[in-house]
Amino acid sequence: MQVLVVDDSQIMRKIIMGALTKLGVNDIVEASNGQEAADLLAKANGIGLVLMDWNMPVMTGIDAVRKIRGGGIKTPVVMVTTEAEKEKVVEAIKAGANDYLVKPFNHKDIQGKLEKFLQPA
Amino acid sequence: MKAENVNPFIESVADVFTNMLDSTVETGTPVIDADETGTPDIIGVIGLSGTAQGIVALRLPVKTALTMVGRMVGAEFRTVDSSIIDGVGELVNIIAGSAKAKFTGQNLSLSLPSVVRGSIYKLSNLGNTLWLTVPFKSPLGEFSLSVCLKPVAATEKEAAHAGIGSR
Repeated sequence: MQVLVVDDSQIMRKIIMGALTKLGVNDIVEASNGQEAADLLAKANGIGLVLMDWNMPVMTGIDAVRKIRGGGIKTPVVMVTTEAEKEKVVEAIKAGANDYLVKPFNHKDIQGKLEKFLQPA
Repeated sequence: MKAENVNPFIESVADVFTNMLDSTVETGTPVIDADETGTPDIIGVIGLSGTAQGIVALRLPVKTALTMVGRMVGAEFRTVDSSIIDGVGELVNIIAGSAKAKFTGQNLSLSLPSVVRGSIYKLSNLGNTLWLTVPFKSPLGEFSLSVCLKPVAATEKEAAHAGIGSR
């Protein structure tokens, strides 16, 4: 199943994609802001999980989640962000995010989210 | 700036080393200075706003920056390129973001990070608030983190004058 990694930091996308590859996920697409992510999700139906940063230029992650859900797309979204306050988590869940991963994270944290949301092929 | 306000940042540096760099870090004795000048070659800077206002600066010698970012992505870097700049920005973003969540009762927001290169610079303080600089030692190299933070009521006018200037 395909995983979409959304972060304006190229290095953070590399870190997350490296972790995914080590965990056996090789079908990965990437986007550098929320708008790109929303556009990709509107076109592609093979994406099984979205790992979404919060603070990005052009369109933030939270606005992208609202747009995605507003368009009827139900793909699971995990916010991967430094925004760790409870109010932010609640805001994300209310917007339609399924889960939350706070930076800094390690491989086990990513693995936990994969196991939660990715179904075996 | 109250000395205890630097503790969340020290904890966040340790979290980054444990979770993302798979390494350890040793915290040195914090040093107070009115204006921070120095010799590090790459500085990741991020602003804090909201109920308090401040600046966080991650100050890295080139060698430390190459090693730390290389460890983050599992690659070897020999020169400073866009990946290193991006990585230093992400490091200060994560450190400051993680720290701001530890300030209970505060409502803080982060700016997008900036990265400055070069050794001739001056980090201006917020009004009369002092910088608190914490030196760190690690197997990945030495570096320091400078924090300047004060309640917003006292800084509303002064903060507009804070920033980075050449000298």
